[in-house]
Amino acid sequence: MTDTDLSPLEQDDLLAAEYVLGVLPLAERLAAEARMKTDAAFAERVSLWVAHFAPLNEAYASVPVPPDLLPRIESRLFPKAAALRRGWRLWLAGAITASVVAIGVFLLMPQSAPGSVIASLESEGATLVYEARHDGTSLSVTRLAGTAAPEGQTHELWVIAPGAAPVSLGLLGSDPLEVEYPRPPAGWVLAVSVEPAGGSPTGAPTGPVILTAEL
Amino acid sequence: MLERIAQQDRAAFRSLYHEAGPKLMGVLLRILGTRSEAEDALQEVFTRVWLRAGRFDPSRGVGMTWLVALTRNHAIDRLRARKPEQNDDDAAALIPDTAPRAETRLIAKGEARRVSDCFDTLEPARAAAVRGAYLDGLSYEALAVRHSIPLNTMRTWLRRSLLKLKECLEQ
Repeated sequence: MTDTDLSPLEQDDLLAAEYVLGVLPLAERLAAEARMKTDAAFAERVSLWVAHFAPLNEAYASVPVPPDLLPRIESRLFPKAAALRRGWRLWLAGAITASVVAIGVFLLMPQSAPGSVIASLESEGATLVYEARHDGTSLSVTRLAGTAAPEGQTHELWVIAPGAAPVSLGLLGSDPLEVEYPRPPAGWVLAVSVEPAGGSPTGAPTGPVILTAEL
Repeated sequence: MLERIAQQDRAAFRSLYHEAGPKLMGVLLRILGTRSEAEDALQEVFTRVWLRAGRFDPSRGVGMTWLVALTRNHAIDRLRARKPEQNDDDAAALIPDTAPRAETRLIAKGEARRVSDCFDTLEPARAAAVRGAYLDGLSYEALAVRHSIPLNTMRTWLRRSLLKLKECLEQ
């Protein structure tokens, strides 16, 4: 079998299977993940393979979990107010030192309005502006001013819970980013970093953080 | 329960942790190999469960499948992000015996029957490769070492097995 024997659909299907199996090298794995966010048909193929292989999950044994783990997870997710501020400030301080381009501006909108603006991520002088909206189920982020990252790079959106590591919400290209996500509560931070095309290779921000906004 | 967690229900989150934690810990321990890294990863997994529960769509599968998929993805990302030399050592350390294990018996029941039957249509070594990739999170490199064949051959081998599986599963 050579790859040229296969139709594009079969190629896609194999890639989805390889992604679910987990055999791909990191770069190809990340490319597949990025594609799932924009290509619904491909994401559907991935879901199908997840279902196909799910019966194998029976083979994973249950292993007792140490009792102190849940409190640690909870203190990370639901910290007290003081610890809460220290946590993300520490992370941001480190990230921003690398290259300060901008400071985000935060706008508070009525909680109940559907599709309301929850944050505006603006560079100094508003040369680059992303607006984050939430409609109750999804977060959408649209670029209102400025240009996308130069070729070979991309803007990546992160959400940071107080005291927790940044979690990627997706890549910001020319189209608005739509992601199903609960409305982040007050005190959380949205940030945009510059990453290699395809997104951060490590799962954590690697490039300069250029925009931030606290909710 | 995931729907309640998506509504920021902390009690539901705690219940889910107690119900699913041991299983997810088993997934992490098998793929990552050490208890300390598995515990570290479990914290990250439950952080993601809290943040991403809203993405779970009950019409597309059961919650446990979603949880195991999220957990496997995180564990495999960790493995692949390791430094190459460390990766090699760990891949060698993680290589299990090639004899069929309990999973062969366990999956032969209920709705899992068809999947098991389809695995049986593959040559035993190839079925073991697919299973090993899935359960242990082995990369193509690690699989090639384990089966003592060149990397490209391994990929061709496994892709052909996947096509055969698909044909059987979608009959």
